[in-house]
Amino acid sequence: MKCLLIASESAEVLFHWTDSEFQQNVQEQYGASQEEGQGLPAFEDSISTLFAPIIISCSTMVDRLGDSYTSFITESNHIYVLHQFDECLYIAVNGDGEEGEDDLKRKIYVMKKMIEVLFGMVTLSSNLLRKELRPQDTEQRARLWKHLQSLLETYSQLRENDQSFLVEAVERLIHPTLCEQCIEFLERRLVQQLNSSAERAGEEVLHAFILVHTKLLAFYSSRSASTLSTSDLLALIIMAQEMYPSNVDLEETGPEDIDSTSGSGHESFYTPEPSPTDKDSNSSEMPVRGSTPVFEFIDPDIQMAEDSLQTLEVPPPDASTPRRVFLDVSSKDGLYPMMPHSMYCLQLWPGITLVLLTKIPTNAVAMSVYTFLEAFAKLEKRLREGHEGSAATRGQLTIHDIRNKLDKFIKALGPSEIQSAHLQNVWTEFKNRAFSRGGPGLNKDLIPWCRNMKTQLCGIYRQCFLNSASADVPRHLSTGLQERAQTMVQEKLMDWKDFLLVKSKRNITMVSYPCIALDPADLTYLEEFPGLIHFICVDRSTGQMIAPSLNITERTTSELGKGPVAQFIKGKVWSLVGTTRHFLRKGYSTVTLRDGDFYFCYFLWFENETGYKLEAGEIPVLPDESAPIGMLAWDYYRKLLRYYSKNHQGEVVKCYELLTVHLGVIPTEIILQHCRQLASKLWEPSRNPLL
Amino acid sequence: MAELVPPDSLRCNYFFLYDGSKVKGEGDPTRDGICYFYPEETPLDKQELLCGQLAGVGRCVSELSSSPVRILRLRRIKYAIQMKDQFFWALGCSVDVPTVSVCQFLDQLINLFCFYNGSVRQSYQLHSRETLAARWAQYLSHIQSGSSELQHIFSCLKTIDSTNVDPLLLLKAALILQACQRCPLVLAGCILFRGRVVSTQMSPELTMKVMVHESETYSKTQTCNGPSASSSFDSAVGSTTVFLTLSELQYLQSAPVDKGLSSHSTLQKDAPPKKTRLSRTLSDMASTESDSTEPDSIQSSQKMCFSPCFSDSDNSVLSPAPSQSTTNPPNSQSQSPKPSFSNRKQSQEAGEETLDESYYHSFHSSGGAGSRTQSEEDGSVFEGNSYLNGGGGGGDGDLAFETIFDIGEVESGKKESHDHQAVTGDCNSEGAQGVMAQHNPAPRSITFESPEESPLIAMTLYLHRVQSLVLALLVEPHFLSDTASMEEVYHSSLASLNGLEAHLRTISPVAPGAPEPYIFAHFDRIQSTLTTNLSGRPGGAQEHPFVRATSLLHSHFCNTETLQEAIIRSAGAAVYVTSSVAHETYFQQNRGSLRNSGIPNHQDSAFSLPSKARHRLLKHGVNLL
Repeated sequence: MKCLLIASESAEVLFHWTDSEFQQNVQEQYGASQEEGQGLPAFEDSISTLFAPIIISCSTMVDRLGDSYTSFITESNHIYVLHQFDECLYIAVNGDGEEGEDDLKRKIYVMKKMIEVLFGMVTLSSNLLRKELRPQDTEQRARLWKHLQSLLETYSQLRENDQSFLVEAVERLIHPTLCEQCIEFLERRLVQQLNSSAERAGEEVLHAFILVHTKLLAFYSSRSASTLSTSDLLALIIMAQEMYPSNVDLEETGPEDIDSTSGSGHESFYTPEPSPTDKDSNSSEMPVRGSTPVFEFIDPDIQMAEDSLQTLEVPPPDASTPRRVFLDVSSKDGLYPMMPHSMYCLQLWPGITLVLLTKIPTNAVAMSVYTFLEAFAKLEKRLREGHEGSAATRGQLTIHDIRNKLDKFIKALGPSEIQSAHLQNVWTEFKNRAFSRGGPGLNKDLIPWCRNMKTQLCGIYRQCFLNSASADVPRHLSTGLQERAQTMVQEKLMDWKDFLLVKSKRNITMVSYPCIALDPADLTYLEEFPGLIHFICVDRSTGQMIAPSLNITERTTSELGKGPVAQFIKGKVWSLVGTTRHFLRKGYSTVTLRDGDFYFCYFLWFENETGYKLEAGEIPVLPDESAPIGMLAWDYYRKLLRYYSKNHQGEVVKCYELLTVHLGVIPTEIILQHCRQLASKLWEPSRNPLL
Repeated sequence: MAELVPPDSLRCNYFFLYDGSKVKGEGDPTRDGICYFYPEETPLDKQELLCGQLAGVGRCVSELSSSPVRILRLRRIKYAIQMKDQFFWALGCSVDVPTVSVCQFLDQLINLFCFYNGSVRQSYQLHSRETLAARWAQYLSHIQSGSSELQHIFSCLKTIDSTNVDPLLLLKAALILQACQRCPLVLAGCILFRGRVVSTQMSPELTMKVMVHESETYSKTQTCNGPSASSSFDSAVGSTTVFLTLSELQYLQSAPVDKGLSSHSTLQKDAPPKKTRLSRTLSDMASTESDSTEPDSIQSSQKMCFSPCFSDSDNSVLSPAPSQSTTNPPNSQSQSPKPSFSNRKQSQEAGEETLDESYYHSFHSSGGAGSRTQSEEDGSVFEGNSYLNGGGGGGDGDLAFETIFDIGEVESGKKESHDHQAVTGDCNSEGAQGVMAQHNPAPRSITFESPEESPLIAMTLYLHRVQSLVLALLVEPHFLSDTASMEEVYHSSLASLNGLEAHLRTISPVAPGAPEPYIFAHFDRIQSTLTTNLSGRPGGAQEHPFVRATSLLHSHFCNTETLQEAIIRSAGAAVYVTSSVAHETYFQQNRGSLRNSGIPNHQDSAFSLPSKARHRLLKHGVNLL
């Protein structure tokens, strides 16, 4: 019984996602009369009627008490989590006990993050966002909602099964040599070739990375690019997974592959021999270009939930058309959030994907729009606080600066196909009020006009970057160029393909991977740390994590045993992460728990660049309603690092987390010794050539 | 322990009871539904807003999930909700209070109301809103008053500081209670001193309820008569009607004390009654005594000191029984009905074959000896049935009620014959006790809150005050009209109470010695009692982090059954907690001793907390080994 709903203040449904059980529940409450309705609209009506009293009560509480609901829990443990972002109210419901309050809250924040990545600064204007999320055209609406629903499902799937989405950090494939080769290849061959091609239509490849399922094999950023934040990278991985989902079952079909790399064999030394038969066998698996990716989550629930949409099935967009994504860019003049990029997601083989991120030629417009938006937002804030006249513009670009720039900006827009007449009118009116001699000047009356200006600017931004359909000339890397890039990387990785697919499932394991690389005499984790069952180590400064794979399907026997046992331990690990976040939120950076037959440890600590461990400082206590701790939706750790660094000026501070699961019979002292060794070993520079 | 009340322990921000049945039509104003609103000075439109919105949203969510809302959280305040029978209760606390505690708080409040007033619906039919508002206010302030933040977190009983009291006094208190129980009209009792529990025979929940009345009369006598009021019969003794749920009554009636007595005394009729009684009290002493003091070590020390005193006369009866009931009271309860059951079965064998065995079993094993004697004394068959429905109904609610009623009818054919046998049998045993004469009880009143709910049975709470010491007994309603029993109970306990009071009064609070370099809190989950070396005074630099950590950990341990131990640490404080089915113990070492904070290191001082706790807490009678 799950549901996620976005509603406007007037109780209009802007988006909804439900699982089949919830849908059934709603339909039962509405009786048979609704079932014979025309699918989507009828169901949408029921949902909005059911939730309307909650939504309306919510806005009443905000208006009259200045407080809003955050959650309801019923006696049967149904959980409702509510959160309001501007004028959009998000409601997430769980009635099957699979998700807790924190999970639901996280889901809401992730949904918001995905919407930001997809719509950029349009999200800053509730009015426009409402239109964007709920297009009048039902067909268009169905397509959009289906896409969002699919993203949400992909995320939920990943959060439930993938450790990197559990802790919200990127997991890399641990294979130093291959990784290095690939990075070099991306840099010297691929990106260089693409950026020097005439077919790139003004776009410039900034980042290129190769994903094996959700794990990162290689990542390259061009010199002119700013760093891609972990938050954005994780969001992009979700999008890539949504486009080319990994089918968990299919990949389990090669037990012989697993045998060849597990056990005593040291994976680091695995070098595949390019056998002549390889080509033949692979050619059959090569995806035919243009073929539609099969939606591979054969989950009956998901199918059911989407039945309502089937009447409005829309052909998928052309695969060569890039996705428009909005990512944070930090340049030397400051941070520009939600700058437009194009995302090319090219499948090399099922499970292996090449992702290219390009800067689009009209990027500068977005930067200007953001500068103006920020200026008007600040002005509005100052006016609201009661400042008037020149005091209202203190501490920022002078209003006259903005005036000149905006005049130029509008002039520049003039000849293009972008409709800027509205903006121009509002701007003229604004100027009349603010600057003319007889006018009211800079005072409170200007507030609505500030808002109006912001809406108009968002409108321009929307026209420029979201209406890709209206542009006649396809402004993106040509199909031929994309194909060439794909073939290049395919050729490069051809011999490694099978190895990579297996490796991604058993990246490192407790039994097969030596603690210290490249020395066959070394012990495995299991040998070196007897009693250690599992661990996760996260470098929060880079947003990367290392953990032994948890294979929990029936077919694979991992060192955790088959199915249920592994599943049990997985459940424990998942709940441990939730628990430790709960304590971290309250300022506790060390937690140990003896739970049943297990002993859990959690540590968060700081180091300087040379690996010297720094004294723990006070960690801020967060209020209950703050955003969930993580890196995907809201980067808690970046804030934490900034907070901690205040007392360590001039020093590069790094932040690490370690979680371990031990057998309960192991003496605590030994467990703690293990933790210390793990903490120092895992991030030894030699161990991590990629950092 | 000194009674210091932190001023900020008032933690309820809002409490209201809203009656949805009063606001049905479109035009009905919301205020008609507001039965009680705290704080009372809240402007009416705000009251209406909160009641209307919360109740409305609550109903909507309940319908969507087909289950009543339990918790409703806003950004700045969280509400525990109860929805029952068109009534909507909401209790709002700051978001820092653990959710478990807020829910417990609300349940306590509603249960208190029902305990003293019976069904809520009926109370509102019988009494004016103003009268009942005063009662809600009284209960609300009672729960909030006089307890520290820690006590709020655990919703625990306030007990006297047992470490400071001679164990013999606790034994004495337990003996007084057991002596009172010799009167069959007395169900159970507790002894309170200055608003704190000395000894109790009731469940923690029930004891908590009883204490409200005590504190109320205490404050009255304080203001009217002064603390040194002479103990004339009239001013010292009082009573009030209270309402018990079926399960509470059952629990009381199935208490091991009754069973042991009736079977014992019927078997050993020749033995001098005094002696049997003494043996019984001793064997049960430990279990009642442990109600007020939890640490094992104290129990053992007590055993050591009382056995030389009593063993000369009763050595043979100081059997393994005490230790059994000490360690595991619930077990001994489930076993105890058996002897009486088999006894009766023997005496009633004659016409029982046709009776459904299972019905028979539930009927007899749940109705205690006390109820049995009652129904048998009762002349009319019908009266007997209705009594059993109230007193011995096995389950809660309608179903159990009806099945039992059916047995009654099946039985009624042969009832007369075997009733007769039973009466003679029991008369014998009562003769041996020599306490009760034949007696016609007044028909018991049973109130039903709603068809789905368990009925509430009217009982009487009898209070006997000796200065700051109070003996509170739950008695059958007709106890008050039975002068003989009342005098018996009064006179038999008066001297002992006086003595106990004199002793307890002379105990001076321990002078606060050098502050210990650690803080601990030991919560007994079964007795619902708390032992701590925390002064209760706010402002200690070490105390706030400890209380905060405790509150966090407590709610976490409530939600995770398999959890046994935890250490959490922030930059300034590390807290260790260990828990089992029976207890939760929290321990914090004071500042200045945290080393290597934060980094995984086995030399970190936080990880030495478990051994330190084990070592240090032995002194306080907390055994973690």
